[in-house]
Amino acid sequence: MKFLKSGLAVAMAAFMGIAASQAVAADAKFADNLRVVIGSKSTGGDTYQNSAIVAQALGEKLGINVKVDAVGSSAAFKALARISNGSTIMIFHDQSYLGYLYGVKGYFDIFDDFIVGPTIAINPGNAYLVPKSSPYKTIEDIIQACAKDTKIRVAIQPGGVSEIGYSALKNAIKLRYPGKEGNLVAVNTGSQSDKNQLLFDGQADLIQGSVQANEQYTQLPAEDQKAMRFVWLTAREETIKQTKPEGMGSTTQAHLLDFVSPKVSVTLDGKQDFTFDKEFFFLYNKKMDPALIEVLDKALGEIYAEGKIQEVQKNSFFIPNFKPSAEASAYLKDKMEKYEGIIKSIH
Amino acid sequence: MADGNSLFKVSIDFSQSHLFFPNIIHWILLILAVLIALTSGPKLLRQMREKKKDDKQTGAPTDWVRLLGTLVLTIIYFSLMETVGDLFPNTGFGFLFTSIPFMFLLSVLFVHQPGRREFVTITLSSIISPAVAWYVLAQMFNITLP
Amino acid sequence: MEFISYLTPMFFALVGFGVVVGIIFGAIPGMTATMAVAVCLPMTYGLDLTNGLALLLGLYVGGISGGLVPAVLLNIPGTPSSITTTFDGYPMTQKGEGERALKTGITSSLFGGLFSAIVLFFFAPSLADVAIKFSYVEKFLIILFALTVIASLSRNLLLGIFSGVLGVWFSLIGSYDISSGGNGEYRLMTDAMVPYLESGFSLLPVLIGLFGLGTILQEAQKGIKEEVGKGKKLELNGGTSFSLSVFKGQIVNLIRSSGLGTFVGMLPGVGGSAASVLAYTQQKNFSKHPEKLGKGAPEGVIASESSNNGLTGGALIPLLSLGIPGDSTTAVLIGAFTLQGIQLGPLFIGNNLDTWNTMMVALVFANLVMFVVMFFAIRTIVKVITIPKYLLYPGIIMMCVVGAYAINFGIMFDVWTLLFFGLFGFLGQKVGLEVAPFIIGFILGKQAEVYFVKSLESFGTLTIFFTKSPIAMVLWVLILISVVFSIYGMIKQKKNNNNKEA
Repeated sequence: MKFLKSGLAVAMAAFMGIAASQAVAADAKFADNLRVVIGSKSTGGDTYQNSAIVAQALGEKLGINVKVDAVGSSAAFKALARISNGSTIMIFHDQSYLGYLYGVKGYFDIFDDFIVGPTIAINPGNAYLVPKSSPYKTIEDIIQACAKDTKIRVAIQPGGVSEIGYSALKNAIKLRYPGKEGNLVAVNTGSQSDKNQLLFDGQADLIQGSVQANEQYTQLPAEDQKAMRFVWLTAREETIKQTKPEGMGSTTQAHLLDFVSPKVSVTLDGKQDFTFDKEFFFLYNKKMDPALIEVLDKALGEIYAEGKIQEVQKNSFFIPNFKPSAEASAYLKDKMEKYEGIIKSIH
Repeated sequence: MADGNSLFKVSIDFSQSHLFFPNIIHWILLILAVLIALTSGPKLLRQMREKKKDDKQTGAPTDWVRLLGTLVLTIIYFSLMETVGDLFPNTGFGFLFTSIPFMFLLSVLFVHQPGRREFVTITLSSIISPAVAWYVLAQMFNITLP
Repeated sequence: MEFISYLTPMFFALVGFGVVVGIIFGAIPGMTATMAVAVCLPMTYGLDLTNGLALLLGLYVGGISGGLVPAVLLNIPGTPSSITTTFDGYPMTQKGEGERALKTGITSSLFGGLFSAIVLFFFAPSLADVAIKFSYVEKFLIILFALTVIASLSRNLLLGIFSGVLGVWFSLIGSYDISSGGNGEYRLMTDAMVPYLESGFSLLPVLIGLFGLGTILQEAQKGIKEEVGKGKKLELNGGTSFSLSVFKGQIVNLIRSSGLGTFVGMLPGVGGSAASVLAYTQQKNFSKHPEKLGKGAPEGVIASESSNNGLTGGALIPLLSLGIPGDSTTAVLIGAFTLQGIQLGPLFIGNNLDTWNTMMVALVFANLVMFVVMFFAIRTIVKVITIPKYLLYPGIIMMCVVGAYAINFGIMFDVWTLLFFGLFGFLGQKVGLEVAPFIIGFILGKQAEVYFVKSLESFGTLTIFFTKSPIAMVLWVLILISVVFSIYGMIKQKKNNNNKEA
């Protein structure tokens, strides 16, 4: 049947007078149309933006048409697993392995099933906020409250990037005040608006949010029901230092640094602080031609060496972070193992 | 259950929360089905019998050729689309090359008085419409097609 | 008044271009305003913020408005929010009043669009504060309120409600979506179905499957007879022709429906389709001739179209005054802002007065362009129904395929969904299932679940739905009124029928 199908297809192609050889990538070169599927369904979100920036640069560099499709994680994984000829590649972020670590359906070990490609950027905005009127001014206040058996409700989206900071906080409480970690409870919810809403309703004491989406709320006067305060950014200090000096909105880089380690400490193991940067990277089909991976590494290397893309990324509050495939893969594997430890210890 | 309020107390285990609402829906569906069977079951049966008679009387028999033909053509169309598309990755040719014969065959199946004129319009329409759709969407707007 | 310097000819040209492209997208079954905005987003990379927004707002208004064309002429909703337009628009076409229905529709659209723009301009920040009073509990009640339309749409009350609940059931298939706060576990399917149904059935393929393919299968069964429709349909202006008198006595309807559209639009997550459904129910409840609705009453078209354009301004309220999108299209607009380095949030309007003013100009201008373009194009558009069916139907299937495949950016399963629900609609109607209640259940089902379950997770008691807030109590009153009205209407109709028979 399959033979019949493809036979018919070839006949049809010939009939249309178009050479089928076009599709065969003989000498490690991408076909004219490269499809980048991403793990998010939103064309307004950070994954899409980041991918669009890189896709545009790649398209110009390779002289091909690169198209980003926001199909969502499960469809993207499926498409990537199915197509091995290098005509479809994927861009996603830490969710791809965090979903697996949290045991979410539809996720699996990306290091087993795919080839992990180069990293391209960081979104440094992962943040935790409290209402401006909250009795808790810092993350340490919250840890102390839990230690004194006060229930602290944290609004997160379960199963990934939004949860990892919560898990780390729970782990830190467990390390410092064993047995008290149960006082930190998750309120599982969805989008940013749902999390904000829970805060406005007094149904959560702490929410996961982002610098980009929540900064203006921190500028509101305290008597406004919507006013919030940052207590913690999970990014590394060196990541925030790479943002533009003016930071985001009315919050300067210097001010942002007040909310990251070492000034805000959520311990990882009693010695060093937990940090989390949301990093975007490529994923390839396991059987994709290594020569093509090489081509992409080289092209990206050149793009980043030119230095133009960094400006574009920084304008959208992304931190450029190019690492070629081999380096990126080893680095992300390490990162995953670190978080695996946290998640195991609190479950 | 001494306290009246406890009657309304519900606690949902997050790990099982995916079944909570579907269970409610199952019960509602079941109750509705029973109600339908009780109230209008006999009437419906009668109606259906009458309808059958109606069909015979008004002489509107099922056009099996067109009905099944549509289904078969659609199924072939859908299943070939991606296969053909895989030969030309990300170009939308899979859509273009399967839509033309599909539209042609379906039009031929549907048309009642096939004449020269009809044949020409069908041919033109089944080549031009997919070609325009493909060009505008896949080329101009860069929309992914099979 | 510095913003006037931004209003270049280029600005207006982009709005106009956006509107035209948007209308085309909206008019193709399966292509939506969201998709129009998404595919044109890359075009704005080269433009500055003002011009980029001009294009996108044009697309948004055009896309929402264009949906009425196939709804009225072909009984296929071009976008989910024009579903209620089919209820009366298509019967009007069958009576030979296609042109009248379209003109009534676009005039209502214009009214709804301008109404919501005015509301947006004057009340955005204060309305945003109202919007955040709606938590999961109140949102659940809004959805429940919209679901009451099922009762009034049903031909047979029990079967209609059954179809509606079945629609809810179908919407729940797949995983309990993590991105709306679920636990990501699968339900209502077997392991073998997982690879296909992980994320459930998508709304759009279901919609165009039921209405598009389903109808074509029915016609195929009858043998695609041209002559059945010919005598009647070729007469494009057979019935009453359009005049503004159609709006006589409909001012309340217009304002109520536009207001409902704007209001639902500003509640994040509740979504566009609920707006027109709500407006339609309320019109049916308050109408002097509720029995005519669903059989080609212009007031149904007025309610539906003014509310779905009322949505546009409404959905921009939380976007611009909270940084939170009110519907799926405005969610894409966020991308345009961040790309230009403009931050959205409660301070946006104050910090970017010029941008805000130009957006308002774009919105108003887009509505006017939409009206003018559609008004003059209608004479041509309406000829679609004179195309012989043997050419039209294959074309519709082809466009449905494009729409289904493209709605989630290239997923083949969505195309198969089309076929599945085409067959389902075809066979379902034979055993008495009703399509309209089914699809409304399907549209609202997922939200009903999340809001209901999350409310209970937070509060742990069913009484919360009654005691949460004064808003909740008001909503219960509205729900009760709606239910009572639809039962009353049904009894009255039965009496009328009995009288006629006697």
